[in-house]
Amino acid sequence: MGVGNQDQTAFEFRGDWKEFFPIAASNLLLTFVTLGVYRFWATTRERQYFWSRTRFIDDTLEWTGKGKELFLGFIMAIAALLLPILGLQFLIQALILQGQTVIAGVLGLGFYVIILFLAGFATFRALRYRLSRTHWHGIRGGSDDPGARYGLSYIWKTLVGGLALGLLIPWSMTSLWADRWNAMSFGPHRFESTPEWGGLMKRYLLLYLVPVGALILGGVAAVSSGSGEGVAAMAVLLVLAFYIVLPLIALGYYAAYFREVVGTLSLSTINFQFTARTKEWFLLFLGNAGLFVLALIVALIPISALGLLSGFGDMQPGQDPFTQNPGLIVGMILAIVIPFSLVGPFIRYRNWRFFIRNLEATGEINLDALTQSQTRVGSHGEGLFDALDMGAM
Amino acid sequence: MIPAWHYDGQTATRHEVGIVAEDDALRLRFADGRTERVPWADFVWHDRRDGASIFGRRSVDGWRIGIPLPMTDLLARRLPSQSRYGGLVDRFGIWRAVVGFSALSAAVILTVWKAPDILAPLIPMSWEQRLGDAMIGDLGGRICDGPEGQEALDALVRRIDPKGSPLRVRIVNVDMVNAAALPGGQIVVFRGLLQEARSPDELAGVLGHEIGHVRNRDVMQALLRQMGLSLLLGGVGGDVGGALNSLLAASYSRAAESRADTYAIAAMRTANVSPVATAQFFERMASDEKKLGKGAIAFSYMSSHPLSEDRRRLFMSSVQKGAAYTPAVTPTQWRAIVDACAKDPDVKEGDLF
Repeated sequence: MGVGNQDQTAFEFRGDWKEFFPIAASNLLLTFVTLGVYRFWATTRERQYFWSRTRFIDDTLEWTGKGKELFLGFIMAIAALLLPILGLQFLIQALILQGQTVIAGVLGLGFYVIILFLAGFATFRALRYRLSRTHWHGIRGGSDDPGARYGLSYIWKTLVGGLALGLLIPWSMTSLWADRWNAMSFGPHRFESTPEWGGLMKRYLLLYLVPVGALILGGVAAVSSGSGEGVAAMAVLLVLAFYIVLPLIALGYYAAYFREVVGTLSLSTINFQFTARTKEWFLLFLGNAGLFVLALIVALIPISALGLLSGFGDMQPGQDPFTQNPGLIVGMILAIVIPFSLVGPFIRYRNWRFFIRNLEATGEINLDALTQSQTRVGSHGEGLFDALDMGAM
Repeated sequence: MIPAWHYDGQTATRHEVGIVAEDDALRLRFADGRTERVPWADFVWHDRRDGASIFGRRSVDGWRIGIPLPMTDLLARRLPSQSRYGGLVDRFGIWRAVVGFSALSAAVILTVWKAPDILAPLIPMSWEQRLGDAMIGDLGGRICDGPEGQEALDALVRRIDPKGSPLRVRIVNVDMVNAAALPGGQIVVFRGLLQEARSPDELAGVLGHEIGHVRNRDVMQALLRQMGLSLLLGGVGGDVGGALNSLLAASYSRAAESRADTYAIAAMRTANVSPVATAQFFERMASDEKKLGKGAIAFSYMSSHPLSEDRRRLFMSSVQKGAAYTPAVTPTQWRAIVDACAKDPDVKEGDLF
């Protein structure tokens, strides 16, 4: 069976936000009344929706993960890892207080290395879990690699990447991507990842040169005019450089990185591509930021109404408006919490849609040879990843 | 026989099959005449898309059958129903589940809120003292512990709190108009408060209130409550939980504050110290608050203590006509307290945060 050509894209997203809204809203309600415990089931329902609206060639993907797996994974991560880490942190603080700074320093370094290891390990396990719960035509992915080796290479590659003022970061990013994906498989086939980092250096170096350039330009402007205006011009240039130009260049680098790592990924006879350029990434983030603005507008209407009703405009010292109107505090919190809590699910919706719309695949698939994955299926989900709050990264 | 599609979970090949509902199983008939029998109990619901309901088998990874909708009554009865929110919620229906979960969550919050009242007195005093010592230790060298100032302060404390286990009251070199009770009978007074106070009687009133918290064992209660709530609301996730938590647990409960005031008034009455100055202090703080606005008073006395007109009136009304009030300490001692930080040569200065 042929995969993707000029006329037809292999991946297609057919979601509809009006269809997604009831899922996001009921997830929010249930998460709220369970003091957050439902969020694992909420994540599962979101993914079920995203996957089932994602078509690859002739059939949709299927998310077969369960909320219980994510919940168990989270509990296990907390019990097995986070408590010892917190304990170690307290120990280090106690040692510093007692003047044992050398031992505290050594422990602190060890602590940093452990965190690095766990971050790498968690990233690997999250990818493994997601592939093992993704079915297409009844076939799933996975890996038999437990991820400890990846955790170790994550430590040293991150440290080396940070050397030389972070100049080797493109190398560590691409190399770690390859380490991760070369350990994964789908059905009987291994993924193959062979990214090159040399081509990314041009954009990466720009990230260095722009702040320096802005400083020089601003300095020249300040000296040549020798006036307050020159200094003001320099300040404006610096602010522009740091808050607008620099993030755009970083985005340009990331767009190139993502095109490179996806474009050099293959599975048996299928090659993947990612088409989004900097402009598309920029529009994605602009839209996501727009969702926050929208939530703010939606929240402001009931808040100003409540505020006017309860006389916030005429507040007296020693008077606590909240104790006098106990319903008010609940109303205010809900007016803020509800719209802003809905931003998260819709950002994930937009991100997934962006990812699938820009993902392409070409080649041939032999369905008879695409047999079931023999990798082990773990009983728990990406708990550590979740516990370290790495989804936010 | 009803037409359906099928993946066997072994290869990705899609099979067109016919299905027949039997008494205890569903029979699949393949194009080549082969058949497969699947017991009803082995089915799980998976999805509903492209005009079909999709089911899997519990025991076979990737096994799927897509049955076109609408299904016959017989099939609909035998096959598992659609799962929407997760097992428990589906069983009760979403609205009943919401009511049930809300009740359960309210009970959990109430328990966390009330449990410290019972738990705090059970905590051994030695633990509490160690905790208080650790918190004092965190202040580092910022305690103004020159002998004169400390002695004078101890004299003031003895005057309003002559009985009971000894308290440790210290002056901290931080420019903040505030005082706070820590676990283990430790009380800290910040330098800013001493500079703001106009007489030893004012300090006696403020200290009497903090001593009230210590003697009523409010400190451990408040601490436990804050810890419990942050653990609990940490689950809600992110800033929402954090903001809720600080709103709910920022300080002592209103009842505890009022009990501490009652304690302070009684202590001052026994010691023959006039409560007028304390009432005036509250009045001054309140007018500062009005002048400076809410933002400027963060971390100060007004932000962690209620400052109502009621409180001023309470202290004013406790004045006894004809009582032989005397100043809480002598003028010399008062100077020593106010200058405690300036006279301490090796004290460090700094912000708390």
